[in-house]
Amino acid sequence: MELDYTFMADTFFKIWSGIGTTLSLTVLSLLIAAPVAFYMAVLRIRGNSVGSGLTQAYISFVRGTPIVLQILLLYSLLPSFLNMLVKSMGSNFNVFDSIDPFWYAVVVFSLNTIALLAEVFRSALLSIPKGQLEAGVSIGLSEFQTYRKIIIPQAMVVALPAICNITVNLIKGTSLAFLMTVKDVLAIGKIAASYGYNYIESYLDVFLVYIIVCTIVQLLYKFAEQHVGAFRAA
Amino acid sequence: MNTRPFDPSVIFTTMPDLLSYLSVTLLVAVTSIILGSLFGMILAQAKMGTHRIPRWLAHGYTYIMRCTPSIVLLFIVFYGLPKLVEVFTSYDMNDVNRAVFAIITFTLLFGAYISEVFRAAYQAVPKGQYEAAVSIGLTPFQAFYQVMLPQAAVIALPNFGNSVINLLKEGALAYTIGLIDLIGKANLIIAQNFGAYGIEIYLSCMIIYWLMTTLLAKGFLALEAHLDKGQTLQAGQMKRSRILPLFKTTPALIKKFQRQG
Repeated sequence: MELDYTFMADTFFKIWSGIGTTLSLTVLSLLIAAPVAFYMAVLRIRGNSVGSGLTQAYISFVRGTPIVLQILLLYSLLPSFLNMLVKSMGSNFNVFDSIDPFWYAVVVFSLNTIALLAEVFRSALLSIPKGQLEAGVSIGLSEFQTYRKIIIPQAMVVALPAICNITVNLIKGTSLAFLMTVKDVLAIGKIAASYGYNYIESYLDVFLVYIIVCTIVQLLYKFAEQHVGAFRAA
Repeated sequence: MNTRPFDPSVIFTTMPDLLSYLSVTLLVAVTSIILGSLFGMILAQAKMGTHRIPRWLAHGYTYIMRCTPSIVLLFIVFYGLPKLVEVFTSYDMNDVNRAVFAIITFTLLFGAYISEVFRAAYQAVPKGQYEAAVSIGLTPFQAFYQVMLPQAAVIALPNFGNSVINLLKEGALAYTIGLIDLIGKANLIIAQNFGAYGIEIYLSCMIIYWLMTTLLAKGFLALEAHLDKGQTLQAGQMKRSRILPLFKTTPALIKKFQRQG
């Protein structure tokens, strides 16, 4: 097998330009998903049966279907749906030309992450003994304050390893955004490869980039875990 | 521009057509799971072994696979393997069925994931069990197969089930290398309709996948409850709903203890 090493080296630096898209997609999805997921987790724990049932159905459906299918479905559904919405409001805004597919990707990955995070938050909240809430309320804090100052900080420490997993999986998952013509790392590698059929070199580069990025993210989380979990070691 | 209204009936009319290609999806998944489990056992053994180099290699391999998007690995195998084979043999892999590439990719992935599950489960069984078995005259082989393995299998089951479901979902990527499986067929049907009914047909696929994963999850839960008999002595008195979450957290707990030394 003759690998074209100069091409490989050139492409390796070229595809880093896509890392911004990959990371911003990841971070945006996480930031959008976190509050919704938290609300869903609370609904699952103490909501009425309708709210809890609906969120459970949503979580089950999202977790039970491949993300490729979610991408394919939403990428064919969202643009025409938005178009219909815009037209019904009497606006002349052209949805098909003026919305960057990046935003569709954000929607897809947010919806997916909501379901994953909701489960993590739920189990993290359940891991905090109920006495914590009772103690907080009994010393005069409101329930909201107790959650904000006592329960959530403890739950986040429990949830952090799982959130790390979700982040790494999300970074890996965003590689599928090329199906929506988003120019992330994989898409740039694919385009570079298609000029001279240097697919294998290009994909090996992409492979390396993902390993490097995931390693850095995991190290950051490990650092954060040590930092916020410091009280447990004492 | 007028858009065609959503037609729910298409979801059901295309389903039989799609279901006839479910066998391809399942074939890829099941073969990868079987081969991947064997590979995972070898990896797990290497990780727990005394030799430093295999241990290091197995850990490194797992780490790399955990950081690799499955689609990238799929592309690397699909484009790289024929070239690699060409170097060593004169065999031309261009006519090989694409399912083979998918199976190789998912075997590599599943092996890495499952080796961690196997290792954690095996290490969760107290070592005294093995020592006790050997001390009453069992050979090390018997001690492994008759004492350690059954206990480890029960512990591994929840995570094994999760990995199987994840693999089934990741197997959906196989269509990107041109394999005509469930989603490949869905894309073909959409192309035959000149791009129409995409939403309905993808929904149909999603329903099929959702049913499969839900049934699998239920099946694994039932199996867990069945195998859990006799594992926990007080199980009979506790409500099942209380045991299952506890049971599920054990691998996490085990990891925590391991980390603490």
